[in-house]
Amino acid sequence: MQLDTAFMWTTFLDVLHGIPTTLKLTIITLLLSSPIGFFMALSKSSGWGIARRIITVYVSFIRGTPVVLQILFLYSLLPTTLNYIIRNVLGLSFNIFRTDPIIYAYIVFTLNTTAVLSEVFRSALSTVPAGQLEAALSIGLNARQAYVRIILPQALTAALPNLCNASVNLLKSTSLAFMMTVKDVTAIAKIDASFGYNYLEAYLVIFFVYILLCSLVQLLFHLLEHALSSYKNTAAQRHEKNAASAYRRHMASAR
Amino acid sequence: MLEVKNVQKSFGANHVLRGVDLKVEKGDIIVILGPSGSGKTTLLRCLNFLERADQGTMDFDEIHTDLKTASKSTVNQVRKKTAFVFQNYSLFQNKTALENVMEGLVIARKVPKKEAEIIAKKTLDKVGLSERYDYYPSQLSGGQQQRVGIARAIAVNPDVLLFDEPTSALDPELVGEVLNVMKNLAREGATMIVVTHEMTFAQQVASRVIFMDGGVVVEEGSPREIFTRPKEERTSQFLHRVLRDDYEYNI
Repeated sequence: MQLDTAFMWTTFLDVLHGIPTTLKLTIITLLLSSPIGFFMALSKSSGWGIARRIITVYVSFIRGTPVVLQILFLYSLLPTTLNYIIRNVLGLSFNIFRTDPIIYAYIVFTLNTTAVLSEVFRSALSTVPAGQLEAALSIGLNARQAYVRIILPQALTAALPNLCNASVNLLKSTSLAFMMTVKDVTAIAKIDASFGYNYLEAYLVIFFVYILLCSLVQLLFHLLEHALSSYKNTAAQRHEKNAASAYRRHMASAR
Repeated sequence: MLEVKNVQKSFGANHVLRGVDLKVEKGDIIVILGPSGSGKTTLLRCLNFLERADQGTMDFDEIHTDLKTASKSTVNQVRKKTAFVFQNYSLFQNKTALENVMEGLVIARKVPKKEAEIIAKKTLDKVGLSERYDYYPSQLSGGQQQRVGIARAIAVNPDVLLFDEPTSALDPELVGEVLNVMKNLAREGATMIVVTHEMTFAQQVASRVIFMDGGVVVEEGSPREIFTRPKEERTSQFLHRVLRDDYEYNI
C-alpha cells in the first residue's frame, strides 16, 4: 500500500487552519468552566446542603454519560427547543438555526469540563490540611483572605497535574466538534479525505497534529508546575543546588 | 484580663467540656495538664474560636461576649488579641519563614510592609532563626518550624499566647530548643496558656497549674501544690503515672 505524501502535505497545511478553532474550543471552555468548577468545589466542600446535592447529581450525570451522546442530545435538542421558545413563547422572528455551531460546542464542552474540574478542584482543596485555615484565622485573617492567600495557592499547585490531564482530555475531545459541523482540525481532515477517500493519510496527519498540540499543553503545565511549586523544594534539593553552584564556581575559578 | 465561665462543648454525644471556668491575669503562665481526651485542647481552641463552644461567656478586657453567639467581628477582635501555637506547627507551606511571620502583621493588622519585615526579622532572631528567613517550612526541621510558629504568634504582640501541645510532634532531641524559647518568653512577662505533657516545664515555669479530667477542672494551684501535695485522688494518680513514665523513660 502506498501513502499519498503529496496529499498528506496539503492536508497538513489545510489542517493548520483548524488549529485556532481547536485551541479556541479548548481555551474558552477552560476559561468558562474553571471558575464555575472552582465555586462548585468550594460549595461542595463547605457543605451547603441543597447546593451540594444539586452539584453531586450534575457531576454524576455528566460523568455517567458519553460525550458523544451529550453532543448528539444537545445538538438536536437545544436548537429546536430554543426555536420553539423564541417563536411561540417570546413571539420573535429570530432564526436560531443560523447561530454559529461553535456556540453549541462551547456549551457541551463547558458543561462537561465544569463537572470534571469541580472534582479536580475538590480533591485539590482536600489536600490542604485543615490546620492551614485554622492558622490563618488564628493570626487574624478573615476567611476570604485565608482562602486567597493561603489555601488557594496551595490547592492550585496540587491541582496542576490533574488540571493538565483534564486540559489534554478536553483538547482531544474537541475533535468531536465536527459532529456539530464546527470546522476544527478533525473536521478539516475529514473533508479533505472525503474527496479521494484518503482517510488513512488524513487521519495520520491529524494524529501527528494532536500529539504535537497535547505535548505542547503538557510542556506548558510542566513549566507552570515547576514555577509554582518552588516552595515544595526539600532541603535536599536545595542542598544539591547549592552544591552544584559551588562546583560551577570552583570550576570557573580553576580555569 | 481574660476570664471564661461555664464553657461547655460537645462533639455529637461526646460531652468534651462540662462547664470549665478559667481566669487569666497579665503575666500568668498557666499550664493545663490532664490525660488525653480530658478537653484541654478543646478548651484552648474555644478561647480562640477555632472551636465554637456550646455555652459559656468570655470577658476579655473590653470584650464581653457569649462564646456560642459571638459575632464575626467579636471573634476577629479576640483573635487579634490572642495568638495560637499549634501542635503540628501549621506554618503556611507556600510562604517562607519570614513571610509566615509577616502575614499576620501586614494582612490582618495593616502594618506597612517595611516595618513588618523589620519586626518579623527581629522576632525570628529572637527564636534563634536569623539564618533561616528565606527557608520554606519544608526545608526546616520540626524544632525550627515550631520556633517559626512561635515567632508568628509573638510577632503580632498578642495579649495572650495559646500553646497547644507545642512539643508533642517533635523528636525528643528537638524538644529542648522549643521549650527554651518558651521559657524566655515567660521570663519576659508574656501571658501564656500552655497545654502540654512536659512536666518539668510545668514545674519550672508555670505560675499556675490546672489539672483537667473528663471535661472539668479537677484541681488548680501553684506547681508546688499540684506536684507535691495534690488534693484530689485523680490528680495524684495522673501525676504518679506520668512522672513514673518519665522516670522509666530516662533510664
